[in-house]
Amino acid sequence: MMGFIERDGMAVAELDDDERAVVARIAADVGLLLGGEAFGMHAEPERPERDEADEIFAHLMGLEESLAEPDDPAILRLLPNAAPTDREVSDEFRRLTESDLRDIKVARLHVMWAQLSEDGPYWTVGADEAMATAAALTDIRLVLATRLSLNTDEDADRLHTEIELAEHALDTDADDELMVDPERVWLGMLYQALTWLQESLVAFVMTFEERNRDE
Amino acid sequence: MDHQEQLEPEGDVVTRLGDAWVTIVWNDPVNLMNYVTHVFQSYFGFTRHEAEARMQEVHVNGKSVVSSGGREKMEVDVQAMHGYGLWATMQRSGQ
Repeated sequence: MMGFIERDGMAVAELDDDERAVVARIAADVGLLLGGEAFGMHAEPERPERDEADEIFAHLMGLEESLAEPDDPAILRLLPNAAPTDREVSDEFRRLTESDLRDIKVARLHVMWAQLSEDGPYWTVGADEAMATAAALTDIRLVLATRLSLNTDEDADRLHTEIELAEHALDTDADDELMVDPERVWLGMLYQALTWLQESLVAFVMTFEERNRDE
Repeated sequence: MDHQEQLEPEGDVVTRLGDAWVTIVWNDPVNLMNYVTHVFQSYFGFTRHEAEARMQEVHVNGKSVVSSGGREKMEVDVQAMHGYGLWATMQRSGQ
């Protein structure tokens, strides 16, 4: 894997087939988590005929759902309460913004997924979609961080050491003694790889924009 | 953005202050320093220097007040921050 560098005015990273498949898959998974359609179905799914009452009912269902605070902590991190100590303000904010926020996040994840679905070893991101892709990477990392229980800066710092120890333990078959959870190690490594990719993508954006401002 | 300048003397001050809200961005272990700096720069129009100072404030002090104004304006700002995945909240100024 190689982080993003600038090539012909675009950000280009290099991933092998497995890495691309994993990153595309996690983008699709977070899209689903946010209530988007499954990625990979290029045609708009046919909508079954509905009568008017059904439409209204569906609309009401959506409204109720959007007013309730999400149960899943990962979704709550993607769509946080705007005023944790003021229920009225939080509910009003959720009613006004949640559906738009879900849509924009799903759309960005879909663009990222499409970038990764191109053939070849390169992940190419145009300058105009680089910040949107960095935001999609943030959303994925927020979900992974919730699953990894990274709540403080110290937790995040410890993850690195934890993974090094775990990798060593797995290599030397000492993982039973250390009680290594392979799924946690795998998620942690994915989190770190995405952190690194995002950092290089944002560095590209900042250099690119600064140069264009100067010119 | 600087609502202080819009404050009228005398009676208006009380009502205007009553409507004053702030947007706060909180520290979290996920958001990257260069990303937060760039979001502050591009969304709020801060200079690079100012955006870095706010980012450092979030990182070191745990939070930073990034904007202030009426409730509706703060809803727009908080929505934008949530769009970028930053942890932002709004509250009445002075609370």
